[in-house]
Amino acid sequence: MLLEQLAGNLFQGLVLGAVYGMATMGLSLIFGVLRIVNVGHGAFIMVGAFVTLWLFTALGISPLVAVPVAFVVGLGLGFIFYYTAIKKLIKAPELASLLATFSIGILLEEVIKLIFGSEFRGYNWALPKIDLGVTVLPLSKLYACIGSIIIALILYLWFNKTRAGTAMRSVVEDTEGAKVCGVNVDRVYANSFAIGIGLTLASGVLLTMFIPVGINPYMGGSYTLKAFVIAVLGGLTSPYGAFFGGLVFGLIENGSYTLFALIPGVEPFALTRFLSFLMLLVILLIRPTGILKGK
Amino acid sequence: MGKRLSTYGPFIPVLALYVIIFLVGKGVQGMWQVMAMLTFYCALGQAFNIFLGMTGYVDFGYVAFLGVGTYGMALSITYLAHQGMTGPAVIIIGFLLALIFPALLSMAVGAVALRLRGAYFAIATIGVNEGFRYLIEGAKIWNGSEGMIFTSELNQVLGRDTASGLSTFWADVYLFIIAALAALVTLHFMRSRIGYALTALREDEDAAKVMGINVTKYKIIAFITSACFAGLVGGTSWALKTPYVFPPEVFEIHYTIEAIIIVLLGGAGTLMGPVIGALIYGLSKYYLSIILPGFQLLIFAPIIIVIIIAFPDGVMGVVKQRLRGTSLARFIE
Repeated sequence: MLLEQLAGNLFQGLVLGAVYGMATMGLSLIFGVLRIVNVGHGAFIMVGAFVTLWLFTALGISPLVAVPVAFVVGLGLGFIFYYTAIKKLIKAPELASLLATFSIGILLEEVIKLIFGSEFRGYNWALPKIDLGVTVLPLSKLYACIGSIIIALILYLWFNKTRAGTAMRSVVEDTEGAKVCGVNVDRVYANSFAIGIGLTLASGVLLTMFIPVGINPYMGGSYTLKAFVIAVLGGLTSPYGAFFGGLVFGLIENGSYTLFALIPGVEPFALTRFLSFLMLLVILLIRPTGILKGK
Repeated sequence: MGKRLSTYGPFIPVLALYVIIFLVGKGVQGMWQVMAMLTFYCALGQAFNIFLGMTGYVDFGYVAFLGVGTYGMALSITYLAHQGMTGPAVIIIGFLLALIFPALLSMAVGAVALRLRGAYFAIATIGVNEGFRYLIEGAKIWNGSEGMIFTSELNQVLGRDTASGLSTFWADVYLFIIAALAALVTLHFMRSRIGYALTALREDEDAAKVMGINVTKYKIIAFITSACFAGLVGGTSWALKTPYVFPPEVFEIHYTIEAIIIVLLGGAGTLMGPVIGALIYGLSKYYLSIILPGFQLLIFAPIIIVIIIAFPDGVMGVVKQRLRGTSLARFIE
């Protein structure tokens, strides 16, 4: 009985984990290329969720169509914030860029609150559930999982098969070297930041399929923390590392929830959140370069 | 005398500002609550500056230290009242716990996080606050998410009149003292080996290490000192002024943001910066909340971004530069 439940939860964890992973790729891309930690990461996920909500409730557009829309909105936001703020902070001490991205996050939250209000919202995408044997899964979650995998694959191909992608990888490896070889580093910075934000907004669309009534201007905070744990699991600079980190994190989160629920007199949900913080500290302590990456 | 003046001279204008704030609060009708709020921000900024300002490391989990300090005071009053103990000794033990709890937490966090640099440190600390809050709620420590209310215990310990005097007046006076003490400690650090080591670290950590400076040691000293003051601020301003404690309220990340804004506005790493930052931030927040309620963060977020890009040294950074070489320079730090 317990094992069955655990297997079901772990499968759900894997499905959610793929989306978590995709939701962290933008963070890792930006850190890998610009060496800037986007502390406002969760706020961009939140904006993606609101794009979905607005398209669905106001225009009746399917959340699947919202994915590319959110990506484009994210590209736009990314370029705006890059040229107004981030560009001037790349060479500044970390304190500056951390606080700037943090403030951008607050700004987004407050603007969205101004437009949509601060109550919890949701939308009802009436899709059937499917029985997979180990567990019953709403079709929307399966779409989100498949969507994440497709986006991760596209990013992989783009990185490895296009010139722009190769230029980006070269900046991650060695900024000076890339410059010497004629890579326009400034443009790579701008593009990477914009694409990173675009990916993050797109992931916000997919994440709404797991939180039926959880869309709120302040929903991003918990995703920021989770994204940090996942990014650190994956080595912080690698978007694919982040994707696999997400899978591992999804498994741990759902597995530990099942186990914490067995302890009498505790709140299992709060404890899983504590666990993710503990994981963050332990991984940073023993292996800041990431668990999943070789030496 | 001359040497001592140049050593501790900069404390004079800071103390003068505190005295002015106190006198305005005491003398002007209806200003006491506003001044009490300003004192809270001064104390918060002054305490946070010891770490953020002097090391240049951003601790996003700072409010957790205020939170555990609040719990220290709350537990002392609740537990000792149930033991039948009365009198000011309970509050003194409360202050001790409000020091010990953040000291222990900062040691535990610092032992891991302070091994990490810059961005990695910030990432590690961003979870501290939430992590601790969810540990309390999840494992149902100290009443878990239900929190603790100890109004009757406080009345029982001190008597109703003294307790209400403490909440409405004396807690704020203690805050003044804590803020002034934090400023004094900051100045002492600046003038001693710790300050020089931290300046070297802030400029270039690798170079400082090569020069034989034990950077980790000084980082930990600054971290724990800063955390202890935060605990006192929490235990005083939150536990004594409002005798209850709920995890979501004391582990509210907005206080960390406010502390960062105050320190940056005034000038990180300067002595008077936190006071100036607290005055600007506190007063504008107070009047904005009257004119445009609910829009404070919307207005402050772009302001922080502008400050970071255009005035990274804050108000005092600019003032210090202007005064360099003049006779006033020795009073400004």
